[in-house]
Amino acid sequence: MFVVHPDRLKWVWILFGVWLLPAYADQPPLTYGLTPVQQPHTAPALRLPTMDDETIDIEALKGKVVVVNFWATWCPPCRREMPSLERLYQTSKEKGLVVLAVNIGEDIDTIFPFLGTVDPSPSFPILLDNDSHSLSEWKVRGLPTTFVVGPDGNLVYQAVGGREFNHPALLNQLLDLLKE
Amino acid sequence: MLLMSNTASAQSQTVDPTSGAVSWETQIHGVTLSLTQILPDQARAFYLNRGLPAVATEPYAKACVYMTILRNDSAPGVVQFRLEDWSVVSTDQSRPPLSVEEWLKRLEEYDLTQAAMIAFRWAQFPPEHAYQPGGDWNQGMLTTGLEADTVFNLVARWDVAGEPYQGVLRNVRCAP
Repeated sequence: MFVVHPDRLKWVWILFGVWLLPAYADQPPLTYGLTPVQQPHTAPALRLPTMDDETIDIEALKGKVVVVNFWATWCPPCRREMPSLERLYQTSKEKGLVVLAVNIGEDIDTIFPFLGTVDPSPSFPILLDNDSHSLSEWKVRGLPTTFVVGPDGNLVYQAVGGREFNHPALLNQLLDLLKE
Repeated sequence: MLLMSNTASAQSQTVDPTSGAVSWETQIHGVTLSLTQILPDQARAFYLNRGLPAVATEPYAKACVYMTILRNDSAPGVVQFRLEDWSVVSTDQSRPPLSVEEWLKRLEEYDLTQAAMIAFRWAQFPPEHAYQPGGDWNQGMLTTGLEADTVFNLVARWDVAGEPYQGVLRNVRCAP
């Protein structure tokens, strides 16, 4: 029987640079609240290519509730929240919810292998922001950061840090928005 | 008025059985603050894997690096902070953590790819932020600039509605 010695395992962690991802039990809990934007205002522009080389413009999504998530594969809470973002999308897309995950600064060769490790694997669009310009336009100061854009195109919620997107409390906030 | 230090708050310490990295954590005034050692080999591996050359990675890996978490669990309002207001207090000095801007300036001499610069910049703990109550938080890398094995206190400072607060992690040790 093949047994991996703990010392060897340590070097696997180190060589692949995934040290930021020890056992999930050691990671801080994902939270589940969305903060209402005090004075809702028009969402900044967002027009980026997807991994399928299509272009998505948030301006064309008026009438829908759009969850905009800024992330990177090397960001531990970004990785941890990704499955719940897909679950949210699966349960709410028929009701008019759109999820856009904006990757910051990475290429398809880096992103694609990671997506294969996510269960359930994301089926929502992954947008590519190669030069990170969207972070300054959306005033993002740390990853992950998520915004919710209402049907009228206004920013209505935001969340700094990793979230459990399919938590009932968070889901209810979004479902209420979808009913409006 | 400085409302409180966390002399009465509990501070926990844990050790990762795989890497041996030590973590320190405290909860104070509705805020969670923690530091986890990033071992020099871990810091080297992380940035070498993201395109930084070894010569650029080495000073960073030896700068006493921590994975830092600050979370607003139940503070009485929005937690606003700037890292330049924090103090790393050792026996012979008290100064803020090394700034992201300082590291980015050091990296200018290397011909780094845009992707490498972006990964470096955004993997650092935010230089400033505002966390809403109920769960806003960040996790990122923070450098103290101290030598290996140095023991220090981290004094984290933040404001809530204009009132200053602080939390202290005591007897934190730099990785060997």
